[in-house]
Amino acid sequence: MKKKKIGVYICHCGGNISDYVDVEKVRQAVEGDDIVFLAKTTMFACSDSNQRDMVEDIKANDLDGVVVASCSPKLHLLTFRNVSVRADLNKYTYVHANIREQASWAHSDNKMGATEKAIHLVKAAIAKSRYADALETNKIKAIKAVAVIGAGVAGMKAALSLAEKECDVILIEKESFVGGRVAQWDSLSTTTETGKEMVKRLYNELVKHENITILTNCEVIENKGSVGNMLLKIKKTPRYIGGTCHPEDLKRAIEVCPVEVPDEFNFRLTTRKAIYKNYPSEYPQTPVIDIKNCTRCGACEKVCPAIDFSEKEEILEFSVGSVLMATGFDSYTPAYGEFGYATSENVITLPQFKRLIDTQSDKLIYKGKEINNIAYIYCVGSRQTDGENTYCSRNCCTSTIHAAVTAKTKFTDINNYHFNRGLRTYGKQEILYADSLSAGDIYLQSYEDGLPTVTLEGKKTIVKINDILTNGREIEVEADLVVLVTGMVPRADNKVGSLFKIPKGRDKFYNEVHMKLRPVETVIDGVTIAGACQGPKNIAESVNSALSAATKSYSILSKGELETDPLVATIDPEKCTWCGACEAACPFDAILKIEKGTKVIADINNTVCKGCGMCAPVCEPDAVNLIACSSAEIMSMIDALV
Amino acid sequence: MAKINPKFGKELNKYGAVNFNACYNCGNCTAVCSLSTEEDSFPREMVRLSALGLEDDIKASLKPWECYYCGECSTHCPQEANPGELMMSLRRYLTAQYDWTGLSGLLYKSLPISIAAFILTFVGVMAFVISVGFELEKMLHFGHLFEMIAIGTVGLVILLPNIIKMWYLTILKPKVKVPFMKYVKSMGELFIHMFTQKRALGCDDNQFRWFEHFILVIGYLSLLFTTVALDWFGSENLFVIILGYVMSAIVFVVTVDFVGSRMKKQKEVSKHSQPSDIFFVVWLFLMGLTAFMVRLFIDLEILEMNKWLYIFHLTVLVQWALIIVPFGKWTHFLYRSFAMYFAKLKS
Repeated sequence: MKKKKIGVYICHCGGNISDYVDVEKVRQAVEGDDIVFLAKTTMFACSDSNQRDMVEDIKANDLDGVVVASCSPKLHLLTFRNVSVRADLNKYTYVHANIREQASWAHSDNKMGATEKAIHLVKAAIAKSRYADALETNKIKAIKAVAVIGAGVAGMKAALSLAEKECDVILIEKESFVGGRVAQWDSLSTTTETGKEMVKRLYNELVKHENITILTNCEVIENKGSVGNMLLKIKKTPRYIGGTCHPEDLKRAIEVCPVEVPDEFNFRLTTRKAIYKNYPSEYPQTPVIDIKNCTRCGACEKVCPAIDFSEKEEILEFSVGSVLMATGFDSYTPAYGEFGYATSENVITLPQFKRLIDTQSDKLIYKGKEINNIAYIYCVGSRQTDGENTYCSRNCCTSTIHAAVTAKTKFTDINNYHFNRGLRTYGKQEILYADSLSAGDIYLQSYEDGLPTVTLEGKKTIVKINDILTNGREIEVEADLVVLVTGMVPRADNKVGSLFKIPKGRDKFYNEVHMKLRPVETVIDGVTIAGACQGPKNIAESVNSALSAATKSYSILSKGELETDPLVATIDPEKCTWCGACEAACPFDAILKIEKGTKVIADINNTVCKGCGMCAPVCEPDAVNLIACSSAEIMSMIDALV
Repeated sequence: MAKINPKFGKELNKYGAVNFNACYNCGNCTAVCSLSTEEDSFPREMVRLSALGLEDDIKASLKPWECYYCGECSTHCPQEANPGELMMSLRRYLTAQYDWTGLSGLLYKSLPISIAAFILTFVGVMAFVISVGFELEKMLHFGHLFEMIAIGTVGLVILLPNIIKMWYLTILKPKVKVPFMKYVKSMGELFIHMFTQKRALGCDDNQFRWFEHFILVIGYLSLLFTTVALDWFGSENLFVIILGYVMSAIVFVVTVDFVGSRMKKQKEVSKHSQPSDIFFVVWLFLMGLTAFMVRLFIDLEILEMNKWLYIFHLTVLVQWALIIVPFGKWTHFLYRSFAMYFAKLKS
């Protein structure tokens, strides 16, 4: 084999390095190495001029590789890999040495020691460079289709955005109807459009796209493969209403159904039948039979021929390249007795209150009583000091004020009392707060250590607070209705999340890779997240993240081909005896058990493997080899260091 | 334990309060107020009490009287909640609360009732002048007599009981214990504030307005003394005559500036002027001017014209003495000084 020729560049970093490390001494110490063809110091290795010089050096001297000793590879590894590429070298021939964070900054009290350490670090990098061979990225085919899970406002917007990019979309909804939470709201803040109108508009756009498949009553039950090619198995629960049917017949069928169950769409304020639709213009327009509660009495079958109890559960299969999760949130359910919840009949939650105002006209009636004085208790289930939900649900302040103003406008003689812990009506929503103040809404405030109390005095419900805005005076309000402003919590049913192994954050919502810079990607390749499954969001924010996640999901697949990092683990089939230790250690499920000839061995899925190296040390027969971190490479580096 | 009264805001709006509900309790108003102190802080606290409708607290408070309406708070309010005007409205509201007759409240809240009262007094004056056959001598004589009777009656029957009610609401009812000697010792405070409005000097850039006000008070009180005690219109004493001219001139010249600023509505203090504010300055101006003219006509012996002029003067005087002094803004002069006195007792 031809002896390698490499170039070594030692950076001053303007003084960040050279103030403590004698860079010239480092240069002298390494220039004698047998593979080092040239060794230079430079004021700023990352500067344009130096990058140009490096390219010229490499080309003029026909170098095989480069080592730059400078700052952390987090900052400039890619910079110098790109320099290598510009000089027609394979980017994996480049080796980085960090002599700023690891030498000059860490040992600013000991210049001699810092210099000595820097020499060792650069020598180790040179040792690694000996083995740094050209590597080719793995290329795999990517299916240009995305599964969007959840057909709420986020899922619907994401599906539309993907469909416009000529990408097949499978929009999967667990419920029988699309629209999610937004379909539940009539009036919305900062827009004149109602939630139902918004859902209708989105649905009408969705059906125009031939490349969107809308699946309702469907759940993903299995997931195989990895980014670029994921095989999803979907369970479709029947609606038990087939074909076309006269709307009048269906209406009759609903009328004759004898079953009454609490209506979750109205947050159990009302009841519905076992054959139902949540609201007249709901999509899809066919009602559904809730088979769990249906008694099979057959009354509906008699009046509507379209009803078909012989429909069977179906399993559908789809192959997609990426999955976009938009599974939404649950509303926090207060604990028994929390601010009188479930113990006092005048206490309801904010979502219930919103449904209540939507379903009433002229007078606000709850449980047969006219409501005039409404007390809103904020941050119930959010910003908890004793509970787990320490986060702020961010949309509820605005939502409450909007509901309060709506109630005041819609009904006569409404007095609103807001028991809050500081208001967060950020951005344009502040106007709503100003409107509510001008309308005479009263705001009472406390800290978390002096929360308001709800007590029953005879038939009266009294809310008391030590109001910090009135010198801590104890103030009481006799409320006809107490509305607990409940925030957003993660979905209790996380089957689909577990299926894709999406990690959760401390708040138990799905976690992104980087809150600021990679806000819609997850550590699972090919799986993006959008909307409130990631954390509390209002509609605008959900749609923002949905559009962003759609773009991200599409960008993975847009070329029809995926490039994956060649820095992965490999298995030596001779040495492997399949003990399963590597499979257990792998955090990415990249190791599969396969049969090769007569032998059972481990195999690495290159598209999923991140090259983290967790498998290597647990392998007893030493069958795992990590590309670019082979035992020989690491040993030679250790030799150079000690 | 305090109960909220959300209807109170509507009541206060009738006294001229505007948009104070918009307050989001930032406290900028209190921070910029040059009279507010840590122990005695306003106006945010009063805005808050008003928004919640804690009437007992408001009635027991002397703070509305401690404000001299420089308007800085309203200028700096990010919500345009007009804390300055709220304080002014509270003064009107408190005036109505102190007044045992209840007429103050009626007049403040209703412009038609105020106008009716002015017309009624005018009719009374006309009835009187007809009964004396338009004789200037008799009119002057009875006019002078009326002044003395009015001062005594209004003072004893209206103002004194009202001060007692104010004392009851602010000292006795909130159970503030004040030793008797403190009442005596603090008496100085009452007169200093009554004649000088010393506290208003604490407002930023308020020296000129304070001086105008000071001159006006001195001028007004001297004119009152000259006409009532020294019988200016009937006097032959040169000193008395000149004193009357000077004092009445001071009154109408200084009030021209006040009327002008109410009309221009440029300063915070005059942006939201209520009829009661306008009546006060205009009637004061008219009093000074007509008194001056009446005496001038006497001295120039233009008697026939003077008859009509005097009827006009008498009408202004009667309206002043029977409406503005006992039930209108004039009382602020009294309540402010007593508020400072009571505040001293509470301290």
